Amino acid sequence: MKTFRGILVISSTLVLAAGAFLPTRAIAQDTTTGSSSKSEQWIHVRVESKEGRGETVRVNVPVEMAAKVLPAINKNNLHDGKVRIDSMHTNDVDLRAILDAVRSSRDGEYVTVQNNENDVRVAKSGGYLYIHVTDKSEGKKAAAKEGKTGAKTAVAHESKVEIKVPMKVVDALFSAGKDELDIVTALKALSAHGDMELVTVKDDENTVRIWVDSKNVAD
Amino acid sequence: MLILAKAALGLGTTLAMAGAYVFHEGVIRVDVDEHREGGSHVHFWLPATVVATGMRFMPKDQLDHTTAEVRPFIPALRELAKELEKYPNAELVDVSDARDHVRIAMADGKLRIDAVSEDGDVVHVSVPARLLRDVADELEEKAPGV
Repeated sequence: MKTFRGILVISSTLVLAAGAFLPTRAIAQDTTTGSSSKSEQWIHVRVESKEGRGETVRVNVPVEMAAKVLPAINKNNLHDGKVRIDSMHTNDVDLRAILDAVRSSRDGEYVTVQNNENDVRVAKSGGYLYIHVTDKSEGKKAAAKEGKTGAKTAVAHESKVEIKVPMKVVDALFSAGKDELDIVTALKALSAHGDMELVTVKDDENTVRIWVDSKNVAD
Repeated sequence: MLILAKAALGLGTTLAMAGAYVFHEGVIRVDVDEHREGGSHVHFWLPATVVATGMRFMPKDQLDHTTAEVRPFIPALRELAKELEKYPNAELVDVSDARDHVRIAMADGKLRIDAVSEDGDVVHVSVPARLLRDVADELEEKAPGV
């Protein structure tokens, strides 16, 4: 009888103690399954710098999380998930008017600038807006500094920016009204798209990549 | 003897239930190791409930001061904590260079911050995501109008 009671005490203690740790584990397990079954989109940012100590920065953020947290931040120009831009006129260029024109136009190459300093290409194709910029000025400066005029050195120091954004995301971004960018609506529009490369910046010292996919870790 | 057994059963059950309550929110873990002369070595485990409960007994003036300082960030902290709970295993931030490595990730429902430096200094902090929400809720309660 005594042995039975002793076993009862020990077993009930063990069961209750196990119960103390089990819920957290069980919840964690459930949510893991839940998050993997949904095809959630993640924004990944990867910055690799060869300067100094060779820094690498990797940031992975669920699009849904960003869309929920951003409206809760009200500081400086960010309010309710919208960024207020004091003037949409940059160097006398009305960005909104240009984007409106691009949005309502057919697919095609809208801007092509080629000169000694820069190559700029803005195009719309298959529902995407493409912006490609190659800055050759840094290459020229570097080549001049090194006392070389060879094309190879200039190319090595070129800085390239490639941006690819779905037009629906651009529409969402400018849906807030005058002088505002609606980041949250744009993020929601972005999450509706599949895996895609958004921004690539490359020069001889830094590489920046921003992309969206359904993996919760960077490449 | 029967009375003694009953008392033991009662005590055991009470202890187990108290343990269940104390640990139901998980454990905060802090490990700090400074590998230099006179460097500090701090290692402790703390039930998350202690923090949440402890906030209720914090001196009012100190709590008011804290809430006033963090007031603009409380809604964001609350949302972030709520969202983090949905991603129990994920790498969020990883910064490394030739000397240092900092990693912020979710592991088994806990927010883990790991920092390792070239000279051997190591900091590991692990906080249950649910605790962050509880802290944000508690601060929000103390700072009405947020």
